[in-house]
Amino acid sequence: MIIMGFSTLQTFPLIEGLTGPQTLDVLHKRITALGARVSGQFVVDCETYFSAPSLLPGNSQRVLNVLHNTEEPASVFAILEGGAKQPVLVADTLLDALLPKMAVLYTSNKKQTRIESKGNRYEMGDFVVKLGSVTMSGSFKGILVEVCYLACVVPALCWEMVWEFMQSFLGSTVPSTLPPYIQSRQNATFSPTDTIQMYLEKFNEFRKQTVAR
Amino acid sequence: MSGPKISIETPQENQIFEITYDGREIPQPPLSMSENLARLAAKIDWSRSDGEEDGDEAAPSSAEGDGDADSQVTTFQQPTWPWESVRNKIRDAYTEVCVLSDVLSIARHKRYMVLDGVTQDAPEPKQIIQVISKKKGLAAAAQILSEGAERMRENLAEQRRNRNNNDFYTELLRLRQKWRLRKVGNNIIGDLSYKQVGSRFWLSGTFEVKKAEENAPALPPPAPGLPPVPPSPIIVTVPSELQGAAFIYVTIRKDQETLCSARLTHPGSTPLPVPQSQHWSDRLDAAQNVLFCKELIAQLAREAVQLQPRLPHMVIGNEITSTIFPGIHLVMGLAHSARPERRPAAAPLPPVPAGPLGDNNYVLEHSLHQLLRHMHHRNMHHAMPHPASAPMGMSKRRRQAGPGAASRGQLLKMVESETLLESIIRQARHVVLRMRTAFAIDSCAREIKDPLIVTHWNSVNSPTQSCCKVNIMTHGYDSVHRTTFLINVLEDSLRCVCRDGRVMTVSYETSELHYIILCQVSQHNLLAAQSLGRIMGWTVKSSSSGQGGGGGGGGSDSSQTAQSGGGAASSSCVLSAPGGHCYVAVRCQPHGEPVAVSVAQSPKRDFFPTALVTEHKWEHLGGAFRQIKWEKMEGRNFLNKMELLMANLSSGTGNIM
Repeated sequence: MIIMGFSTLQTFPLIEGLTGPQTLDVLHKRITALGARVSGQFVVDCETYFSAPSLLPGNSQRVLNVLHNTEEPASVFAILEGGAKQPVLVADTLLDALLPKMAVLYTSNKKQTRIESKGNRYEMGDFVVKLGSVTMSGSFKGILVEVCYLACVVPALCWEMVWEFMQSFLGSTVPSTLPPYIQSRQNATFSPTDTIQMYLEKFNEFRKQTVAR
Repeated sequence: MSGPKISIETPQENQIFEITYDGREIPQPPLSMSENLARLAAKIDWSRSDGEEDGDEAAPSSAEGDGDADSQVTTFQQPTWPWESVRNKIRDAYTEVCVLSDVLSIARHKRYMVLDGVTQDAPEPKQIIQVISKKKGLAAAAQILSEGAERMRENLAEQRRNRNNNDFYTELLRLRQKWRLRKVGNNIIGDLSYKQVGSRFWLSGTFEVKKAEENAPALPPPAPGLPPVPPSPIIVTVPSELQGAAFIYVTIRKDQETLCSARLTHPGSTPLPVPQSQHWSDRLDAAQNVLFCKELIAQLAREAVQLQPRLPHMVIGNEITSTIFPGIHLVMGLAHSARPERRPAAAPLPPVPAGPLGDNNYVLEHSLHQLLRHMHHRNMHHAMPHPASAPMGMSKRRRQAGPGAASRGQLLKMVESETLLESIIRQARHVVLRMRTAFAIDSCAREIKDPLIVTHWNSVNSPTQSCCKVNIMTHGYDSVHRTTFLINVLEDSLRCVCRDGRVMTVSYETSELHYIILCQVSQHNLLAAQSLGRIMGWTVKSSSSGQGGGGGGGGSDSSQTAQSGGGAASSSCVLSAPGGHCYVAVRCQPHGEPVAVSVAQSPKRDFFPTALVTEHKWEHLGGAFRQIKWEKMEGRNFLNKMELLMANLSSGTGNIM
C-alpha cells in the first residue's frame, strides 16, 4: 500500500575548524547551490524505555525504543531490543498515550534520555534530502544526513545513482558500499520501518559515543 | 423426521418346502379348496356348547347346565361320528342365516314389515334448558358488542366536536404532532432549525407559541369567494429574520443572456409572499425554508471566500457569481421577501426564463438541496467504530494510516474533500458543456445532409458525466456501412471513442468537436464507398485513410492545429472494376471539396499513334485519371452516385466521355 521510496542514512563528520551548526550551513549552501529548495522541517526522535525487573526474571533486560518521524506523522514506531529478534511495531499515535499506563512494566530511565535529529528538509526532483543535527538532552552530538529517492523501492537498483548524488554534495565521505543494514535486504522492497531501524542504529552509535568520551 | 428407509414387502405366500442343492427353492404347493376348508375347520373350537349366546351371566351356569345336558345327551347317543356336533352347529348357523335373510328380504319388500328406527322420548325439559343457556350466551355477546359500539360512537362524536372546536389545547396538540415544542418557564418554545439533523448554522430557529386573545379578528379568506377562516387560538411568533418567504435562484448566464436557471423552494410552499396572518403551519414551513436557504447561501459564500481558484468568485450581498467557462458565469443568490407589503417596491427578482430551458431547473436545484443535506448527514453520522478513547469519525483509510506508516502526502490527500461550491460548479459546467455538445451535433446534423447523423443520448447519467452515441449512415445504404462513435461529456472536456479504438480528448471549444464530426463524416464516405465497391464486385486497389480525428490527435490546443492538420485528414482509395478495365479514385476530406472522384479507363479513348508510339496495342496501357463533375452526377446522395457510376462503368459499354 505505501510506496515511499528508498532512503539511506549517513553520519557526516564535522569539518575541521567548524562547529556543528556551521557545518550544517556549509552543507545547506552546497545543496541549495545544486538546486534543491527547502520544504520545511523534519524531526526524528527516539525515547527509550527499559523493562522492569519483575517482567523478566534474571539479568536479561529488554529495551523498548519509541521513535517518531515527521515523514509519517500519523504513525509511531516501537522497536524492542534485547531478545533474539527485534520486532518493529508500527502503530497509531495513540501508542504514545498507552505507554505511560505501562510505566509499571517499562519505565523510562532518566539516564538515557531522548535523542533526536532535527533540521531542514530539501526537495529536488525525485530526491528528498534531510540534514539533521543530532541532539541529546540539548547537547549537540553530530550530523545525520538522510537521502531519499522516491521513485524506486528496491535498493539494489538505485544505490549507484543515490551514491553519486550524495557524493555531489557530501564529498568523499560517502562510502561506496551499501550500509550494512540494507546489504542483507538489497533486493527486497524498502519500507519506512527500514528507515526507522537505520535511524535507531545511528542513534545507538551516538549514544555509545558519549559513553566512550 | 427422516429416518432410515424401511421397505415393506409381503412375505412369500407359500412356505418353502425344500431347497435343492443348486439353490432352487421348492415351495409348498398352495392348498386346494378342500384342504383350505379343513385347515379353517381345524381352527374352530368345536368343544364349546350352544348356550354361549345367552349372555355372560347366564354363560357359566348355562355352560355348566348345558354341559351336563350335553354329557347326558352324549352318553345316550354315543355318536358314531365325531363331526355330529359340528354338523349340528353348522345347521343351526345356517338356520339363523336363513331367518336373517328372510327378514331382510321381507323388510325390503315393505309390504309386511318395515324397518323403523327406535323412537326416543323427546327430552323436553332438556330443550328448555338449552334454549335458556343459548339465550344467555347471546345476550352476553350482544352486551359486549353494544358496549364497544357505544364507545366508538362516543369517540366519533367527540372527534366531530373537537374538529369544530377551536380551543387552545387541541390546536396545541396538532402543533405538537408536527413540530418540536418544549416548555421553558411559562413560555412554550419551539425549534424549526435543522440542528437536530446535523446543521451547524449559527442562526437559531426558535419560535414562540402564545395563546391568542379573545375576540381576535378573523383571518382574511385565503382566496376570494371562500368564507373567512375562524381565528386560530394560538399565535406563533417567528423570529424576524426568518419571516417572509425565500428561495435560492441558480442561473447560468452567458454575458447578458440567461442559459438556464433554477429556483430552489421548499416543496409545498408557494413562492408567493406569505401574508402576515396566515395559518401557523404555513408560516412555520416558510420560516424553515428561509432558514435552509440562508444556511445554504451562507455556506456557499463562505466557501467562495475561502477557496482560491484562478478566477476568483464574486460575492456581492446575497449573490455569488463564479466563472465556469470564459464568458459564462454561474450566479447563485438568495431572494428573500421579508416584508411582503413592501415587496413591489423592493429589488426586483431575476426573471425566470420560460421555455425548453426551464427543464434544467430540477437538476441543479435538487443538487444544491441534496449537497447541503449530505453535509448535515456527514456532521451527524460518523463512520463506525465509535471508540470511547480515540477520535471518532475517521474513515477506514485514515485509521489504517497510522499502522500503515502513511507519508505526509498521502495523509494530505485523505484530508481533501470537495466543498459545496466546487461540486455545484462542476455540475454547472457539465450542464453547459452538455447543452453545447448537443447543440453542436445537432447543427452538424442540420448542415450535413448526405450521410445522416443520428445521435442517441444515454438516459442514465451522472451529474458530471453524460454519454452520447453518434451513428453516421447514408440513407438507403445503412447496411453497407455505418460509422459509430461515442462521445463522453465530462466537466470541461469531451472524450470521443471511435470504433477502431482511437480515443480523442477534446477541450470545451465546440469548433474541435465540429471538426471531429466532419472528419468522421469524410471517413464514413470513404469506407462506405469501399464497402459498396466490394459488394458490387469491384476490388479495392489501395486505400489510405487520413487520421479521421483531427491533426495531431486533438488535445486542448485550439483550432489552429485542427486547421493545419486539415490536409492530413483527407482519405482516399482506388477501386478497380471487375473486368479490370476501369479505375475509380475517390478522395474525401473534411474541409474544402468534400468529395473528389476521378476515373481512368483502360483502352485509352484518346490514343493516337504518334511518331514514337506507333502501334495500337499501347492504347491498353490505360488512360489518365479524369475528374468527374460530381454535382452534375445523377443520384440522391454520394453513395447512390457512386453506385450508379460503378454500375455504369462495370457494364463495359459505359461511355463517360
